[in-house]
Amino acid sequence: MIDRLFARATRAIELLLALAFIAAVALNFVNVVGRYLLGWTILGSDEVQIFIMVGMTFLGAVVVTWREQHLRMDVIARLCPAPVQALLRWIDLALMAVLCGFVFYESATYAYQMFRLGRLSDTADVPMWIPHGAAALGFGLITLIAVWRGVVAVLRHRGVQDRLESGAREAPPS
Amino acid sequence: MTFALGVVPVVLLLLGFPIFIVLLASVSTALVFYMHVPLAALHQNLFGSINQFALLAVPFFIYAGELMSRGSVAQRLVDFVQAGVGSVRGSLGVTTVGTSAIFGAISGVSAATVATIGKVMHPAMIRAGYPATFAAGLITAVGAIDIIIPPSIPMIVYGAAAEESVPRLYAAGVVPGLLIALMLATYVMWRARKENFGAGDPFEWRHFLRATGRGAWALGAPVIILGGIYGGVFSPTEAAAVACVYAALVTRFVFRELLWRDIVEASATTVLFTGQVLIIVACAGVFAWLLTVNQVPAAMVAWLNAFHVSAWQLLLAINVLLLLVGCFIDPLSAILLLSPLLVPMVKALGIDTVHFGIVVTVNLAIGLFHPPFGINIFVAQSVLGLELGTIYRGIIPFVIIYLAALVLITYIPVISLGGMHLLLG
Repeated sequence: MIDRLFARATRAIELLLALAFIAAVALNFVNVVGRYLLGWTILGSDEVQIFIMVGMTFLGAVVVTWREQHLRMDVIARLCPAPVQALLRWIDLALMAVLCGFVFYESATYAYQMFRLGRLSDTADVPMWIPHGAAALGFGLITLIAVWRGVVAVLRHRGVQDRLESGAREAPPS
Repeated sequence: MTFALGVVPVVLLLLGFPIFIVLLASVSTALVFYMHVPLAALHQNLFGSINQFALLAVPFFIYAGELMSRGSVAQRLVDFVQAGVGSVRGSLGVTTVGTSAIFGAISGVSAATVATIGKVMHPAMIRAGYPATFAAGLITAVGAIDIIIPPSIPMIVYGAAAEESVPRLYAAGVVPGLLIALMLATYVMWRARKENFGAGDPFEWRHFLRATGRGAWALGAPVIILGGIYGGVFSPTEAAAVACVYAALVTRFVFRELLWRDIVEASATTVLFTGQVLIIVACAGVFAWLLTVNQVPAAMVAWLNAFHVSAWQLLLAINVLLLLVGCFIDPLSAILLLSPLLVPMVKALGIDTVHFGIVVTVNLAIGLFHPPFGINIFVAQSVLGLELGTIYRGIIPFVIIYLAALVLITYIPVISLGGMHLLLG
């Protein structure tokens, strides 16, 4: 059930960002047309586009994490025996949870400071806690995914062990 | 500090962890255990690395390419180039090279070109009696031109990492890209003549004009992108956004091939790519900042001076390093990991950073299809259903051609800088 929840949430994030990105393209295009044909520009449109890209980066990374599509150089790891690969997978999840949890804490603290100070962006007047919060939210969700995958891995490992033990008990003496 | 910024990233990279985790582990270790700076610097640098208008060109160009590759654009470009090539020996092979070069001026994503052009041209070459290894090698190798001919995503990322102008890099990439295309086409014609395959249909004006008419809308995209940038009308980011709107309008209303849903799905694919790549850009920004404040590049420059390394020796060493790295890591990650270290050394020896950007791009382009792990090899294998052995055997002559081009581009800077001066004055 939690798997389904993550799958739906990441798909929703993906579609939301896809629509926001189309809006960024449209904004840029309107700005170019406005500047050359009508002599006006939308003030702060550059900032809004950048903030959409910030969202795509940090929240898009959540979707990438859920689908396990992060870029990596795993040529050597794939040559390792299965137990070593399993160990590396555990370390991968643990590192991801700890590091992204750490960055989440730092980013969330920073975003909260922006919120308390009421800081706005220079030209578009976007509250700065929103883009900074997107970074915090992204790392927070990645941490949750890593923790959940770790829990699933532990449960599966135990299940396999239990089955092995029960199988050993039931096996006839040789 | 050597442990945090040297040992940790190398070990974790070799163990196959995600590259953004490799960089985060390195910078977090340095900040927490070795440095006395507020930890808020971590978030500030992560955010600051992405907070750049120039980087918007990356998702914009990806989106334009994604839209253009979903319809019949590839087939229209193939028809146009083939009609122009006429009865030249190896005409289908030359068409493959020419179409890839034009497609490269639209998309800038190498794997997409291998898949899109390969699906059209590989069966056609096999039907026309081209040797299987030759066709497989050509299709796999030709996509690498895409990241050299502008618009090129690796060049935008290099521009951000090395603080170099993207229009200058784009202008410098044109001649090297065309040079490689010319060398490939020459080899294709020589091989076809030698082994007596691939006679083409004779050139006919009527056929050519009809193909030009069908391909005109597809050809409009590179005209808008490159004409807009070098005509001084748009910045690269704006040119990319205009190309997106153009691609959406042409594929939706002119070709009537994409639904609104497809346009949103193409955007979702772009979001995924952005999440993969820009998260590394963000983490690499912190890594580069830590290298700078710890004076690592300065120490490496001092080391160079102490050993009296000359410019050509450094370029040779960097070429070998990049070719090796390019076999294992994708070009964008390699640029982000290595630029903070290499660019200061290159600058210290008086090498132009635009020229160096092109050298880096060509090296990493070779890595895209270099055996055993070049990504385009696996794209060709999965999309075209080719055997790895066939690709490996077929790719070797093309690797040699690219290496010859790399030597020329590395040691004759005018090949890249001449084009830049010509286009930008």
